[in-house]
Amino acid sequence: MGQSEAVNAPTDDVGGDGEEFDPIGTLTLIGIYFTILVLAWVYIYFIEFLGRDLVVVG
Amino acid sequence: MHIHAYEKLWLALSIVLILALIGTVTYGAVGPGVAMVADSQSTVDPGALDEDDRFSEPRVEQVGENEYEAYVVAYQFGFEPTPIVVPANSTVTLHVTSRDVIHGFEVAGTSANAMAVPGEVSEITVETDEPTEYGIVCNEYCGAGHHVMEGKLNVVSQSEFENRGGDSE
Repeated sequence: MGQSEAVNAPTDDVGGDGEEFDPIGTLTLIGIYFTILVLAWVYIYFIEFLGRDLVVVG
Repeated sequence: MHIHAYEKLWLALSIVLILALIGTVTYGAVGPGVAMVADSQSTVDPGALDEDDRFSEPRVEQVGENEYEAYVVAYQFGFEPTPIVVPANSTVTLHVTSRDVIHGFEVAGTSANAMAVPGEVSEITVETDEPTEYGIVCNEYCGAGHHVMEGKLNVVSQSEFENRGGDSE
């Protein structure tokens, strides 16, 4: 992979430096996934796990 | 090598996510003091629990101001003592073992959950709040009566605990 990129890189990057490639939809999707993941983790750990009775402390 | 700005962004976010996961677990250990069952307890002879200092008489005893130790034996198919009676707003250390096969010791709906392994002692320390009643279930399949194996953990007020007397002696 590194080799082919080294070969292709000069020709690929000559133009607009990939600026026309703007995957805003993918960015949005990943943003939504990320938010779900963070909210789910906060809920599972801080509310469900630490919020329960009889937390094991030793 | 050219990396798209968005790709840099989600690489960074995924690293943040990993650090956040490690961070919350670290916080749990340092802040609320969440702990695991350790292997520091000395082993017992599961065939001779009636000769063991700790488990010959499954019980709850006071070991300090507001500190209690409970010795629990799981067997096919139940828990001794039942109910386990402990006072509210106290620190209780549960020592759980089994005299036959592997059992589970789960105080339903709480984080208190350990395995009861013959020969091994699972030690978990919990802090009780208000008086309430919990159910205890076995969550390791242990035989034909597994589904009826249950116990009780009753958290009672300090005065009620003292009135019961017998449980603390």
